[in-house]
Amino acid sequence: MTSLLAILKESWLSLRAERLFRVVMGLNILVIVAYASMGFTDTGFTLFYGLFEEESEYINTHSPLAKTLYLGIYSAFIVNIWLAWAASILALISTSSIFPKFLSEGSVELVLSRPIRRTTVFAIKYVSGLIFVMLQVTVFTVGAFFAAGWRIDVWDPAIFLAIPLLTLFYSYLFCVNVFVGVLTRSTLVALLATLLFWFGTFGIRTADDQIQRFWLMSETTADESTQRLFELTAEIEQASLEDQTKVVRELRAERRETETDLANADEAIERLNPWKSAIGFLRMGLPETARTLGLLHRELERGSNNTLMDLMSGRAFEEDSDYPQNEFQKRRMDAEEKSYERELSIPGWKIIGKSLIFEFVILACAIWIFRRRDY
Amino acid sequence: MAAVIDIQDVSKSFRRKVHALRGVSMQVDQGQIFCLLGPNGAGKSTLVKILMTVIRPSVLSGSMLGKPIGHKPTLRRIGYLPEHHRFPSFMTAGQALHYYGGLTGMRRPARRRRVEEMLELVGMTSWRNHKVGTFSKGMQQRIGLAQALLHDPELLLLDEPTDGVDPVGRREIRDLLLQLRNEGRTILINSHILAELESICDQLAVLVKGRVAMEGTVDALTEGGVNWSVSYRDASLEWGDSKIEQLEDRIVVTLPGDSLHQVQSTIDRIRDAGGSILAVSQNRESLEDLFMRALKQAGTEDAASPGAVRGRKK
Ligand SMILES: Nc1ncnc2c1ncn2[C@@H]1O[C@H](COP(=O)(O)OP(=O)(O)OP(=O)(O)O)[C@@H](O)[C@H]1O
Ligand SMILES: [Mg+2]
Repeated sequence: MTSLLAILKESWLSLRAERLFRVVMGLNILVIVAYASMGFTDTGFTLFYGLFEEESEYINTHSPLAKTLYLGIYSAFIVNIWLAWAASILALISTSSIFPKFLSEGSVELVLSRPIRRTTVFAIKYVSGLIFVMLQVTVFTVGAFFAAGWRIDVWDPAIFLAIPLLTLFYSYLFCVNVFVGVLTRSTLVALLATLLFWFGTFGIRTADDQIQRFWLMSETTADESTQRLFELTAEIEQASLEDQTKVVRELRAERRETETDLANADEAIERLNPWKSAIGFLRMGLPETARTLGLLHRELERGSNNTLMDLMSGRAFEEDSDYPQNEFQKRRMDAEEKSYERELSIPGWKIIGKSLIFEFVILACAIWIFRRRDY
Repeated sequence: MAAVIDIQDVSKSFRRKVHALRGVSMQVDQGQIFCLLGPNGAGKSTLVKILMTVIRPSVLSGSMLGKPIGHKPTLRRIGYLPEHHRFPSFMTAGQALHYYGGLTGMRRPARRRRVEEMLELVGMTSWRNHKVGTFSKGMQQRIGLAQALLHDPELLLLDEPTDGVDPVGRREIRDLLLQLRNEGRTILINSHILAELESICDQLAVLVKGRVAMEGTVDALTEGGVNWSVSYRDASLEWGDSKIEQLEDRIVVTLPGDSLHQVQSTIDRIRDAGGSILAVSQNRESLEDLFMRALKQAGTEDAASPGAVRGRKK
C-alpha cells in the first residue's frame, strides 16, 4: 500500500512539474469562462457577459431552444472539439513522457529493485496517467455544470458523465501511447504513433460512416424502385384493360425510368459491398472513440425534442418539414436520419465493451513486454 | 559462516547473442565485504541486476538471504545502488528519499526519521529541499548511497559507489562501509578502483568474460604472493633466478617466498661484497597484481578486452 502511494505521489509531482499540465489547466478554465459568458434574456440572448445583446424570437429565456442550444454547445463544441481534440492532444503530449521517463536507464532500476511486482508498478503508472485527464475534465465539468445552472437554470447531472466518458475515450488512446512507450522507450515515437493511430481510426470511422450512408441510400432507392415497379405493372395492366393508350404509354415510360434507377442502385450496392465489409471489419477491431463521446450527447439530448443538429439545419424552426424539394436531397436526409437512428440504437455497453476489449488486449501486450524486459 | 548470496551456474545471454554471464557460481559470506572485479563488460552489473530482479536470468539457481533469487519480498532487506542511476529530476533530495523509502514499503514516520539520518550521514542535509536534477554527479551519488541505506538493509549491493565522488567523500564512504560491515552487514561492491578496495576487501571474485576467473578470501589468495625485496648500492653481484631491478641510484633484488632466513643471507652477501643496504621491505601481492594474475589465468587471449562473448552458439 505504501509503495502504491509512493508511485502515485511521484506521478503527481512529475505532472505538476510539467509546464504543459498547468497550461492545459489554465486553458480549460478559460474555455469555461467563455462558455459561461453567454446568457439569455426575455427577448433574446447576450454574449460576453452582457456586452452584446441580440434580439431573437426563437432563442430566449422562454424558449426551450435556448436550453437545447446551450447544452448543445456544451456537448457538440466544448466536449467534442475542445476536450476531445485540442485538450486531448495537449494531454497526450504531456502524458507521452510518463512511461519513457519512468523506464529511462538509471531510474527504472531504482524502481524495479523494490519489493513490488512489475504488473502492479505498471498498473499504477497507467492509472496515474488517466487520473491526469480525469482531473482536468473534472475541473472543467464542474465549471460547465454551474454555468448551465446559472445561465439556463438546468442542473443536469448528466453533464458529469463527461468525466467517465472522456476518461474512457482518452484511455483508448493512452493504451496505445503506453504500449509504444514501453516498446520503444521514446516519448516522441510514442506520441507520433498515438496521433497516427488516432487519425487512422478517425479516417476509418469517417469512411465507414460515409459508405454506410451511401449504402443505405442505394438500398432505400432499390426498395422503393422495386415497390414502384410492382405498382406500375399492376397499373399498366389495369390501364391496358381500360384501353387508355396515352396513360399506358406514360406508365411504360415511368417503368423504364424506374428500372434504370433500380439497376443503378443495385450496381452501387454491388460496388459498395466489398468496401463496406472490409472497412467494417477494420472498424470492428478498433475502439469507438467518437461513439463513446456520442453517449454523452444521447444523455444530454434525452427529453428534448430538438437536437443541436435540428437547430443548425434549421429543421427546428420549420412547422412541417416538407422543405427538401429535390428527390436526391430527400433520400439523403432519409439515409442520414436512418443512420442516426441506427447509431442511437447501438447500446452503450456494446460501444464501451468493444473498446475496452481493444484496450485490454493492448495493455496485456504492453504488460507482457514490460514484465519480460531486461533493464 | 552462512552464505548470504549463494548462486550456482548463473547464465545470461542478451537476445541469444551476447553472452554476458556464462555459468557463474559464487558464495558471499555474511558480514564480509565482497569485491566483484573484472574488466569492462565482464558482466558484473548484469549479475547484480539479476540479483535485484532487474534483469531476468537465462539460467539460475541459488538463494539470497535464504530465499530463492527473484523472491520479491526479500528485496526489502537489500539496499541497491545501481550504476549510472538517475533520480527524477523534479524531486527534491528529501522527496526522492521519501519516494524510494515508500517504494520499499517504509511507513511515513519511520521514513521521516531515516531520511534525516541518511541525509546527515552523506552530508547532504542542507540540500534537502533542492531539486536532485541540479545536483553534481558526486552529490547524486551521495543521495544514491543514502537511498540504498535508507531501509536499514542487511545486504548492500553497490555498483561503483564511489563513481564521481571527491577524495574526501571516498574516504568517508570507505569508513562507512567498514562501519556497516562491523555492524554485521554484508556488502558486495563492484568497482574498478582497486587501490580503494585494497584496505576494505575481505573476499573477492574476478569475473572475466562472464566466468569466474578467481575467487576466495583476500588472505588466502595473496598468501603465496608474499615476497621480500632488498635495495642496496655500491656492490655488483650475480643473483641467478631472482628478479633484479636496476634503478638510477640503487639495485632492488626481489626474493620469492616469505623466508626470513633467505633475507638475512642476502643481506650478508651484499655486505660481504662491500655494498650498503638502503631498504628491506616485505611485499604483499596487491589487488592489482591479483587482478592481472586472474586475467592471465582466465586463459583466453582476449580476456582483457572489453565486452562480453558474442555469437549465436551457446
Ligand atoms: N540490457 C542489455 N542488453 C543487451 N546487452 C547488454 C545489456 N546489459 C548489458 N549488456 C551486455 O552485457 C555485457 C556485460 O555488461 P555489464 O554491464 O554487466 O558489464 P560490467 O562488468 O558491469 O562492465 P563495466 O565495468 O563497464 O560496468 C556487455 O557486453 C554488455 O554489452
Ligand atoms: Mg558495470
